[in-house]
Amino acid sequence: MRLLRELSRRKLRTTLTIVGITIGIWALVVFSSMANQINGLVSMGTEFYADKITVTDGVAFGTSPMRLTDADTIAAVDGVAAVEPKVEVFWEADPAVGFSVPDLIHGVIPGADAGHETFELELATGRLLTVEDAGNVVVLGSSLAREHSAVAGSSIEIRGQTFEVVGTLQPTLTAPDTTGYIPLATAQHMYLDDLPPLVAESLVADEVVNQIIAYPEEGADEAAVVSAIEGSVANAATMTGAEFEETVGATTLIFNAIIIGVAAISLIVGGLSVINTMAMSVAERTREIGIKRAIGGPRGRIIRELVAEAGVIGLIGGLLGLGLGAIVVVAANELGRSGGTVLFDLTPVTAAFAVGFSTILGMLAGIIPAWSAARLDPVSALRYE
Amino acid sequence: MALLEGTSLRKTYRMSRKTCVEALRGVDVSIAAGEMVAIMGPSGSGKSTLMHLLGLLHAPDTNDGPAPGLRFDGVDVTTLSDRERTRIRARSMGFVFQSFNLVPTLTAEENVALAADYAGTPRGSARSAARDALTWVGLSDRATHRPMELSGGEQQRVAIARALVNDPTLVLGDEPTGNLDSARTTEVLALLRRFNKERGQTVLLVTHDAEVGETCDRIIRMRDGVIVADERVAPATAAVGADIPRPVAAGQSGAAVPVPAA
Repeated sequence: MRLLRELSRRKLRTTLTIVGITIGIWALVVFSSMANQINGLVSMGTEFYADKITVTDGVAFGTSPMRLTDADTIAAVDGVAAVEPKVEVFWEADPAVGFSVPDLIHGVIPGADAGHETFELELATGRLLTVEDAGNVVVLGSSLAREHSAVAGSSIEIRGQTFEVVGTLQPTLTAPDTTGYIPLATAQHMYLDDLPPLVAESLVADEVVNQIIAYPEEGADEAAVVSAIEGSVANAATMTGAEFEETVGATTLIFNAIIIGVAAISLIVGGLSVINTMAMSVAERTREIGIKRAIGGPRGRIIRELVAEAGVIGLIGGLLGLGLGAIVVVAANELGRSGGTVLFDLTPVTAAFAVGFSTILGMLAGIIPAWSAARLDPVSALRYE
Repeated sequence: MALLEGTSLRKTYRMSRKTCVEALRGVDVSIAAGEMVAIMGPSGSGKSTLMHLLGLLHAPDTNDGPAPGLRFDGVDVTTLSDRERTRIRARSMGFVFQSFNLVPTLTAEENVALAADYAGTPRGSARSAARDALTWVGLSDRATHRPMELSGGEQQRVAIARALVNDPTLVLGDEPTGNLDSARTTEVLALLRRFNKERGQTVLLVTHDAEVGETCDRIIRMRDGVIVADERVAPATAAVGADIPRPVAAGQSGAAVPVPAA
C-alpha cells in the first residue's frame, strides 16, 4: 500500500499526530459514553415521574408528616383519579451523607394507584407486595438486591429488624433500583421512630404519611389539578413530571455542553496537529510534488493523495482512541458494577461517530496543505532543496 | 512542419518587490519534428526558461510587448489553462532532469508507471508499459529497486524510461547529463539519440556541455535572454554522435538492449 509507505516514511511525526488524535477521540468516546448513560438515566427518570403529581408537606420538603386523611382530601379534588399515600424513609436510620442517591424505603398500599401508574416494575424473582402483606416483608430494587445478595425467600436486616424478601425487581436505571418496598403500616412505625420525640409524641403511627401521589384523570388539566390540590391541603408542595424534566433537563444540557466542548477541543487540537504534520510533509516533499506536476500529474490527483493520507492518519487515531476509550468504559463499568454505579454506556452510534469524526477531521485538515501543494509551481518546486 | 513554434517569447521573474529578472527578452524559435536540438549558453542566459516555456511548465508573459505565440504540434498553447497544459505534458512530452528527480518512495517500475498512469493508461497496462520501458533502457532487472539503491547512471536511465513510457512526441532534457561522468553521459546521449532516430521523437536538451551539443543536429546559443546563434552541427560530427555504441544493460554480460517496435 503506497499510502502507508508514505506515512511510514515519517514514523515519529505521524505517530505523534496519531497519538494526539487518539487522546482527543479517547476523551470524546469516554465523555460521550458518560453522556449516553446520564441521558438514559434522565429519560428513565422522566418516564418514572411522568403522569403523576407528588404531594408533600411544604414546611420541610418531603420530610415533615402529613395526615393520612389528606389523601382522602386530595382524592376528592376534581380531576384526581387515584391517590397513593406513601411513607418514604431512608434505608438507614441515619444515612451517611454521600454523592449518590441514598437507599430508600417506601411504605406503600399495593394497588392504591388503581392501575394509573404507567411505570412498570418488572420482577426479577418472587412477587410484588399485595394488600394481604403485613409486617416485615419487603420487595427490593435491583441495586439493593445485588447489594444484599438477596432473592425472593432471603431474609435481610433492615434497621435491626429481620425482613423476609418476597420479591426483587429488574433494573430500571432510576429510583426503584435503590428502593425497598414494604407495607405502609410497617413504614409508618419506622417513620415515627425517625421523627424528633416531641413531634412524634403528638402523632399516631397509623395516621401519618409523608408523601401522597396523585394520579390525574386522563385529559385533566395538570396545572389546574395541581392548584386545586395546593388549595385543598395546607402547606402542600407538589412536583409534576414536567417539573422534574425541567430540573433534570438543565443538568442534561450541561453534560451535553461538556461533550460538545470535548469534541470541539479534540477538533481543534487534532485538526491543527494534522495540518501541521501534513504541512511539514508537503514541505519535505516539495521536490517530489514538483516532479509529479512536471511529468503531468494533475492537481486533483495530488490533492487526493495527500487528503487520503491525512484521512488515514485520522482513521488510525480514531480507531485507537475508540479502542482505548472502550477499554476504559468496560473496565470502569466492571469496577463500578459491584458498587451499583454504572457510569458509561458506549453505544454503536457513539463508536461510529467517533471514528467517522476523526477520519473526516483528518481529511478536512489535510485539505489546506494539499491545496497549497497542488498550487506549487513545478519549476520552482524542482529547484527546492 | 515545425513541431514547436514560438514567437516573441518573454518571461520576467519577480525575485522580490524591487528586483525583476528578465530571463527571456523576446525569442522566436522553431523546432522541426524529429530534430535533436541543444540549447546552450552560460548561466542566466535564459536557456532553462526557454525550455520551461516550450515544455509548457510556464506560460510566456503577455504584457509589455507584442503578443507571444506558442504552437505545439499544430495547437495554439499560448493561453491554455493549467489543466490543459498538464494534460499535454502528461501525454505528449517526456521530461528528464539533471538530478534525476525520481520519487524516492517508489520503485523504478512504479516511478515509470506513474507517468503512464498520469497519461491515462489503466493501472495494469501502466505496469506492463513501465516494464517494457525499463527493458528499452536496459534496466529490466532493476524494476523493484528504489532510487536509493541505484547508481546515478541507472537513476537517469529510469528517468529516461519514465520520459519515454508514453511514447511522447517531444522529449525535453534539462542538463540530463549534468550529474553524470563521461561514460554515463555517452550512454544517456546514445539512448536519446536512438529513440530520436528510431521513433522520430523530437529531443530538446538544455546543456552546458559542448560535447553534448556536438551530438545533436542543431545548437541554439543563448545569451542574456536572447538567441545569439542558431547553427547546424556538421553532419560528420553528428554522425559520430549517432555512432556511439549502444549501452549495455547494467550488470548484464553484454546483452544487446532490445529495440522497441517503432
